[in-house]
Amino acid sequence: MEQGMSPYSDFFRRAGTGLLFLFLLAPLAAVIVVSVNAGTTPKFPPEGFSLKWYGTALSNPAFTGSAFNSLLLAALATAVGTPLGVAAAFGIARGRLPSAVRGLLEAVFLSPLIVPGIVIGVALLVALSSAGLRDAWLRLILGHVLLVLPYVIRTTLASLQNFDPALEEAAHTLGASRFKTLTQVTLPVLRPAIMAGAIFGFIISFDDAAVSIFLIDSSTSTLPLAIMSYMQYNFDPSVAAISSMLIGLTLAGALAIERVFGLKKFLGS
Amino acid sequence: MAITDMEVAPAGSGALKPPPSPAWLVLPGMVFLFFVLLLPVGWLMALSLKPSMAGAFSMEGDWTIANYLRFFSQPFYYSTLIKTLWVSGLTTVITAVIGYALALVIWTAKPAHRGWIVLIVLSPLLVSIVARTYGWMIVLGDRGILNQFLLGLGLIDEPIQIMYTSAAVIVGLVHVFVPFMALCILTSLDKIDPNVPEAAMTFGAGRLAVLTRILVPLTVPGLASGLTIVFSLSISSYVTPALMGGPRSGMLTTFIYQQFAVTLDWRFGAVLVTLLLALTLLVLTTILALAARMTAKWSKA
Repeated sequence: MEQGMSPYSDFFRRAGTGLLFLFLLAPLAAVIVVSVNAGTTPKFPPEGFSLKWYGTALSNPAFTGSAFNSLLLAALATAVGTPLGVAAAFGIARGRLPSAVRGLLEAVFLSPLIVPGIVIGVALLVALSSAGLRDAWLRLILGHVLLVLPYVIRTTLASLQNFDPALEEAAHTLGASRFKTLTQVTLPVLRPAIMAGAIFGFIISFDDAAVSIFLIDSSTSTLPLAIMSYMQYNFDPSVAAISSMLIGLTLAGALAIERVFGLKKFLGS
Repeated sequence: MAITDMEVAPAGSGALKPPPSPAWLVLPGMVFLFFVLLLPVGWLMALSLKPSMAGAFSMEGDWTIANYLRFFSQPFYYSTLIKTLWVSGLTTVITAVIGYALALVIWTAKPAHRGWIVLIVLSPLLVSIVARTYGWMIVLGDRGILNQFLLGLGLIDEPIQIMYTSAAVIVGLVHVFVPFMALCILTSLDKIDPNVPEAAMTFGAGRLAVLTRILVPLTVPGLASGLTIVFSLSISSYVTPALMGGPRSGMLTTFIYQQFAVTLDWRFGAVLVTLLLALTLLVLTTILALAARMTAKWSKA
């Protein structure tokens, strides 16, 4: 099939593939190359090798403070969103509901994926302001739980639908209580799916700018927004250094998902 | 399910009662979604029907469609809608072409190379949006890599401006949405028996004919879901247009930001939000309905 199927001759196919890969990788490679540039502007080709921009980025309080906020926010949102999502997935998959109700519930629970992030941010800002709630952390946590929720539900639901009921029946037959079956059999089987959803939710929350941009205030910002506002007035390679660190972090998360669940399966589901 | 339970339980262990329905477990999530998403969005949509007033987010005032009339009567406002549609449309078409090519590359790759190629195709998704945009600034800027390359080759005499134009927005969007498209198409390609295109070629079909007459028709479901996802993600994207297109990128989402963060005319801004949501829903339902019809047609053929 390999030779027979290619729509072009081998040379053009390779050249075309190379160009496509270049398109995909060029901005990422550019960021990493510029981050180790010794010069003061993001010149290309770089003027020598240096890690000084990593030092500059890490000693910029605007980056470190907001990075701490982003990590804390993503962790809190994942900690709240994961149990909420797992419970909802159980209710949908095991609730013995009419299929129309199930479909509706699934659609509602996955709707945060369809509603544009900027709409989620604006709607929360307006609703909470009219309720008199103006705390940035409260707004951010509510908005980010919303971001995490659908990913956890999607992976958990997929795993529950493939769940072999014989496992639980066997546990029950062997005398395990319902609670013990849940904690010793069902949840361990579901763990990879729950983990994948939670990790992806964490990354989405950590990387979000569209929802947060309306929910931060002058004293509380997140890392993507701090970088965005820094970029408006500065173009020095410290942004490249912090971006490279973010690339490393997301790559680590993606590898974790790949190990526990399979990335393609996850993104394709 | 309950019946299999009964059958599996051995006679001596006593009949296994079906556990109580855990449907109530959806309640906490439902309550959360209602108060954090449905109610706020509904409130905002209602607000769009109140007279425009800077800074007002309460429900005071009479019901009116004045905000909508204002939006559709002034070119400055409704041009954002038109621009959003054509930028998203062009993005979707280009993404489909590139995504199809990449899906074919993955599909025809040797199994040993497949993992690496999938990783490269997914790489734009795995990178923070600000990092990606900064990378494009380095590549596409006035003194960026692309301009230096073209100047060096003598193809252009002075740098061409790419950043802060619609072209930059489209490049940025295509780059990040290609993985979705490629994966959707690949899912359909993987269902095709590799013997089918081979048989066609044995009988003298050209490569182009194999592509247009066999592969594309058989991948309509994947292509349709890819188009749906990419178009709806494009119209609702905010960060890429804001960073790559500059403050006056003229898209609906950047205009929404202006209304809510700068002009503070929240009630008029609510019109834009309602239109964006309506557009997203319209696109999703239209393309899904179309896909269902196409699938039915192809499966009959």
